[in-house]
Amino acid sequence: MGKNHLGEFEEIVMLTVAILHGEAYGVAIIEEMETRLKRSVSIGSLQVVLKRLEDKGFLKSELGEATSVRGGKRKRFFTVTNVGKDMLRTSKEQRMQLWNAVPDVALEFVGL
Amino acid sequence: MNNPKKNHKYPSRLVMAFFRWFCSQDLAETIEGDLLERFDQRVEELGYPKANKLFIRDVILLFRPGIIRSFSISQKINFTTMFKHNFILTFRNIRRYPSTFLINLIGLSTGIASLLLIYLWVSDEVSTDKFHPDDDRFYQVYTNFKTPNGLQSWKGVPGLLLEEIQDQIPEVNTTVATTDTHEYTVSAGETALKVQGKFASQDFLKVFNYPLTIGNVSTVLSDKSGVVITEGLALNLFGKTDVIGETIKPEFGNKTREFTITGILKDLPKNSSDQFEMVLTWDFYHNDLIDFKNWGNFYGRVVVSLNEGASFDLVAKKADEIIDEKQGGDRVDLMLVPYSDQYLHGNFENGVSIGGRIEYVELFAIVGTFILLIASINFINLSTAKASHKVKETGIKKSLGATRGSLINQFLTESVVLSTISLTVGLIMVYLFLPQFNSITGKQLVFLFNQDLAIASVIIICAIGLLAGAYPALYLSRFDVIKVLKGKFLNSGGAIGRKSLVVLQFALSTVLIVSVMILGKQMEYVKNSNLGYDRDNLVYFEREGTLLTNGGSFLEALKNIPGVSNAAFSGFMIGGGNATGGVDWEGKEEESRVQFWEMKSGEGMLDLMGMEMVAGRDFSSDFATDSTAIIFNEAAIKAMGIEDPIGKTITHYTGTKRIIGIVKDFNFTSLHSQVEPTLFRFEPEDTNFLMARLEKGNEGTSLSRIADLYESFNPGFPFKPVFIDQDYQALYAAEDRVNSLSKYFAVLAIIISCLGLFGLTAFMTERRIKEIGIRKVLGSSVWNIVYLLTSDFSKMVLISILIGLPVSYYIGSNWLENFAYSIELQWWFFALAGLSTLIVAWITVATQTLKSARMNPTKSLRAE
Repeated sequence: MGKNHLGEFEEIVMLTVAILHGEAYGVAIIEEMETRLKRSVSIGSLQVVLKRLEDKGFLKSELGEATSVRGGKRKRFFTVTNVGKDMLRTSKEQRMQLWNAVPDVALEFVGL
Repeated sequence: MNNPKKNHKYPSRLVMAFFRWFCSQDLAETIEGDLLERFDQRVEELGYPKANKLFIRDVILLFRPGIIRSFSISQKINFTTMFKHNFILTFRNIRRYPSTFLINLIGLSTGIASLLLIYLWVSDEVSTDKFHPDDDRFYQVYTNFKTPNGLQSWKGVPGLLLEEIQDQIPEVNTTVATTDTHEYTVSAGETALKVQGKFASQDFLKVFNYPLTIGNVSTVLSDKSGVVITEGLALNLFGKTDVIGETIKPEFGNKTREFTITGILKDLPKNSSDQFEMVLTWDFYHNDLIDFKNWGNFYGRVVVSLNEGASFDLVAKKADEIIDEKQGGDRVDLMLVPYSDQYLHGNFENGVSIGGRIEYVELFAIVGTFILLIASINFINLSTAKASHKVKETGIKKSLGATRGSLINQFLTESVVLSTISLTVGLIMVYLFLPQFNSITGKQLVFLFNQDLAIASVIIICAIGLLAGAYPALYLSRFDVIKVLKGKFLNSGGAIGRKSLVVLQFALSTVLIVSVMILGKQMEYVKNSNLGYDRDNLVYFEREGTLLTNGGSFLEALKNIPGVSNAAFSGFMIGGGNATGGVDWEGKEEESRVQFWEMKSGEGMLDLMGMEMVAGRDFSSDFATDSTAIIFNEAAIKAMGIEDPIGKTITHYTGTKRIIGIVKDFNFTSLHSQVEPTLFRFEPEDTNFLMARLEKGNEGTSLSRIADLYESFNPGFPFKPVFIDQDYQALYAAEDRVNSLSKYFAVLAIIISCLGLFGLTAFMTERRIKEIGIRKVLGSSVWNIVYLLTSDFSKMVLISILIGLPVSYYIGSNWLENFAYSIELQWWFFALAGLSTLIVAWITVATQTLKSARMNPTKSLRAE
């Protein structure tokens, strides 16, 4: 699978970064995911994934300006790279293909 | 954790510190920001305690691979590389500065060798007599005699004490009575030998750990006619070790008889202070050899093994009560001394142990440490001095990103490598010099490379490597990179430390030199001092066999031998012999109990020995009444307080005696002790020795003539003449050894110190070579420059002499207090020692300074 595969959590993180569009840093990403997906995420697990995605070249980051909040620590803002965008698109298309191939019957609720 | 005065709240600092510690560098800032931001939010939403809890949870969840910084992997690679690198640098440095390396190597390896040799000696000394079972409950009974000078301690006790202790003191498990070890002539068939033997009561081998190879521990000494001998003696007498039931015949004058061998002892361990080859029974000694068995005669030695938990104070008190009751009055005190303490703590003053050999043990432990310290100082000094060679290297390394730790590592590697090489060389030296060391110390030390030594070696390597390397390492790695690379490096800070170390070194050397001088002077004094008799060419040998019955004709023949100037029957023994308290005189106070050394005398013995009569006359067979005559020395008369003593009578335990003469005080024990009261009895038939004075020049031929005469009277008996002077020298065997050993070590110390000084000077002059060149160009003379270079060192050495002399004065006067007769400490000892230290230092320095002062300035100034 290697580089061309995205894990489920990785995909969500990338999508969230894309949603935040330029404002994506640690806490913002976590909050976005919490509000949209009702999914609680720890800083640790997020940072590991962010680092991994950056290593793979799907995300890139730069440091922001230091401010008086956050104990004067700078934020690291993430954006999706072109490769990352490609990847997301491919992933979405693959899913759509699969969705389209599913017969309607199979997804109907059957009884109680 | 949170400061109530401020509105702002902070999460747990400890946890934050933990986070900062483990988090990888590139992630730390943003993650910490995230953590704080979340924390602040939560404080508002959920309150501080909950927020803090969640913060801690977050941090714990962060503790995972990917975020934790790398602690090991990358560094490990670095480490081995650096290790290799450090090694290469070390060896390059050695090759580049071989003289420094040699100085360090010689210094450290001799230091280590000295310390190891001293360690072997010390551990041997300390283990002496410790091998008996229940060592901690094993005591020798001592008698404290009350004298005008305080208590005199001696291990002689009345032999009758044995049974009384056994019967009356339940705290004592086993009691053993013995005698001291003496030399006896023993014959078996045709063979006759001089044998070290002693007498001991039945339980001797139960409490002393001298294992039997054949025989039963509890019965071998029960039969009066039994004897136990060592394997070595069995081999010498019979040529085999299986000799149970054979008989041997020790000489006891007219009490001589045959004894049957009942047991064979293994040869005694070397660390036993008591070395004997034959044990006879106490029964025989007490019943057959002792004529005056009473409570005033201290002919026995008693050793007790206490029950577990018994108080030795109580036992001593009970034993003391026994002797007071038997003697009828509190005339002596008994005390218990741990058996194994006697060897190292054998000197007593007023009934209290005041040391003994232990002082020498401590002395040498200190000396060994001194020498190693001096050698380590050399290393420290030379490395810091060489720092200027290394500062550039250090500066460049630092600017290329070397951390202080890795620099320290480099220097420590260097010193550990050096100490490893030194240890190896030191071990080889120990191995090579052990035979010489053994002959000086009179020991049979063995050097085995065992586990202990291996561990000790590792400890030595690390200790020296780290201690000697730590200062240079810390010093060199501290330099400021920019200053160093700009060439602003100044040597001043290290110089002070270096100077004080040199001062310390030379102070130690001065102390050693003065101590050796005092030791040597005192020994010389002791050996040459007038003892009150003339001990030159005075030889004695035992009266045995037919000499006991036919002694008169032998003595006549002996006197007629050419080369023998005079001869007499004698009971004189260096170191004393028997002591008695059994003398009463008119006006004697009840409490006073003067202890007299007692010597039997033949006709003309005092004259033969060159003793002076202060009053009265010597014994003479012309007077029939002399069988009841007695002669005292001055000390005895003084102790008794008799006025006008000649012709007065006293009561000796053998009967009433008339004082016919007073002999001038003479010293027959070592000069450690005062002259003690002594009495002479006229017993020509009952003396133990024959004594003769030989004419100077041909002692050898005279002795062989005496041997021939002896052989004709006593065929088969070993003839073993002893010079009184030899016996006298033997009293100082311990001091003699210390004396010669300390000379070696003092010389070593000064050599190592000078080596260091030599290296330091070489380096200093090398650094100032340009300055010297310029000075010369401007007209300085050679001597100006020598003075310039030497004055610094002279000051240091002078300071160290000033420090060293008072210390050595203190040590010297303390040691001399051990002697009742000692030299005065003269000012010139110290002047001489100080001067010689200074001169040696000057010579060392001069070799270098002269060379550089005479150098052609064009050579030093050409290159630039």
